[in-house]
Amino acid sequence: MGKVSAPLNWTDKTYFCCAVTLYGIAMVYSVFLWRKGFQRDDWVVYGVLAGGLVLHTVAMAKRGFNLQTCPINNLYEATAFIMWTIVAVNLVAGIWQRFRFVGAFASPLLFVLGVFALFPDLDPELANGAHEFSGALSSLHKALLMLSFGGFGLSAIGAVMYLTQEKDLKMHKFRAILSKLPSLERLETAMTRLVWIAFGLLTAGLITSSAYLHQVKQVWFKADPEMIWVMGVWAFYLVLLVLQKRHAHSGRRFAWCALGSFLFVLLTFWGVYLLSPLHQTSNAVS
Amino acid sequence: MPIVCLGLNHRTAPVTVRERFALPEGELHVLLGALRERTVAKEAVILSTCNRVEIYAATEDEPQVLLNELRAFLLKDREVDADPDEIFYEHAGESAVRHLFNVASGLDSMVLGETEILGQLKAAYQLALDQKATSGRLNKAFQKAFNVAKQIRTETNIQRGSVSVANVAVELAGKIFDELNDRTVMVIGAGDTSEKTARALLSRGARSVMVSNRSYDRAKDLADELGGRAVDYDHWETEFAAIDIIISSTSAPHYVIDRKKLEPLQGIRQHRPLLLVDIAVPRDIEPEVNFMEDVYLYNIDDLQAIAGNYLRLRHEEIVKCESIVDATTRELIESLNVSPVPRRQNPPLSSAGEASAAQS
Repeated sequence: MGKVSAPLNWTDKTYFCCAVTLYGIAMVYSVFLWRKGFQRDDWVVYGVLAGGLVLHTVAMAKRGFNLQTCPINNLYEATAFIMWTIVAVNLVAGIWQRFRFVGAFASPLLFVLGVFALFPDLDPELANGAHEFSGALSSLHKALLMLSFGGFGLSAIGAVMYLTQEKDLKMHKFRAILSKLPSLERLETAMTRLVWIAFGLLTAGLITSSAYLHQVKQVWFKADPEMIWVMGVWAFYLVLLVLQKRHAHSGRRFAWCALGSFLFVLLTFWGVYLLSPLHQTSNAVS
Repeated sequence: MPIVCLGLNHRTAPVTVRERFALPEGELHVLLGALRERTVAKEAVILSTCNRVEIYAATEDEPQVLLNELRAFLLKDREVDADPDEIFYEHAGESAVRHLFNVASGLDSMVLGETEILGQLKAAYQLALDQKATSGRLNKAFQKAFNVAKQIRTETNIQRGSVSVANVAVELAGKIFDELNDRTVMVIGAGDTSEKTARALLSRGARSVMVSNRSYDRAKDLADELGGRAVDYDHWETEFAAIDIIISSTSAPHYVIDRKKLEPLQGIRQHRPLLLVDIAVPRDIEPEVNFMEDVYLYNIDDLQAIAGNYLRLRHEEIVKCESIVDATTRELIESLNVSPVPRRQNPPLSSAGEASAAQS
């Protein structure tokens, strides 16, 4: 009997890279599904994303156990957390056949976010004990905020599905009938509920952030760019939901707003994070 | 004992001829008895639908003898202007079985892949079975035909999609609305197609239907038939807040619904989606309304284009279906041609060793 070789010493980054590769494969297959009008093979993207989620979870767990805290200390970790939320919810929704194609819309976003997260500068090495935020409130406020952004990301994916289906129906495209996408009403309901859930998480995230700030700095509010930005995002989504509740705008407009809002979050989050003294002072290697 | 088939259908005979050969359902059992008395058929099944009249039979005689007798049986007491050689088709042996499978699978139907014929074929076979007019051959052939139809339905897309305007409208509604069971349908103009469309929507669970027609009495009649209520033609807009689907088929020479009229009404509907199905020629609904948010307008050409696309998809499946039919036909013919193995009291010993063991 030969000696069994030792297992590969994979780091959390290696697992994450593999997960992003799987998201990339799912994205390529999604292009095929788009061209075929979402008529078949709905299990392929779902299966590939499930494989990605396993590797992604291992990556996050390894990082979390290494740090002994919720792994959201820099842009890489924050992005990985948002991505994880999107994949997890997407796979849960995909249990229902009508929502299985969400993965085809989610995979391009996941791949782009994954590649972005892998930029070396986004994951500076942490010095031992360098976490300014440690403890339950620290982990909780970060997790809640990232989960809410993941929720907004999913609502944006729902919005793309809605807009695709709506356009095909308006243009009398045959693929609108053939596709296995859910009905417009169902997509609008899913989109709205996701925004509500994400908004709830964001609200909870803001409250815990404030509580944590009070715990460590004895103030409830600080004019930090990121804190102001999060409050701005909260106010924007509040207006969006109030208008939706009052039936002030159509499903199509709501979809555009959900998509536009998330794109705004996506494009500005990184800049605001880097501008925030509250979050930057502790993370870099001193 | 070969199986034969003699018949006529929508391809070989126009409706003026088909209606002369239509066999009343109530008399089929009598005809089955008469058929077996007057011909050499040992087994028989008679299928009579609006698009075809066919007799499947099995005989111990020459197939052509039976086919001639079946032809004479069908022509008896009927005056037909057309040439019988042109209107009747004949199949014997493998060809008859293949034809039966094609009929059962809807491959020989006017609307390719339709399923109604399978039900009619089952009913015809059941009647023959009850009359003890079938035996080994036809029983085996018909059971196999039902299996082939099922296999084709599950393994191919021959029955996919709707090829009628009414069902396409239902499919569209399914793409817009989550469920149909709490929807209200309004029919403007009590035409035949609009009635069919409304019926199709109601059969899929639409909650209620309103009918508005220039003649209130006609509207009332149709509303009663559909289990809905009639609405005054000049004031149908008052009901607009509750409506989700409008089917319009008036003979008005101008637009009955235009953007100017619809825009203020959409506001009171709180941006709920609205499906407009315009099956009138000239059109009842101004095409501009399709540019309004939450409004989806389909006219008769749009619906027919979708039905045509489905039909094209079904035609693409024919090769796949034919290979299933061919394989099963060969399988059945082979099994019918194998003579039954005589029963033995003691199975023969297969080897010398076993033989000697038995002797000892």
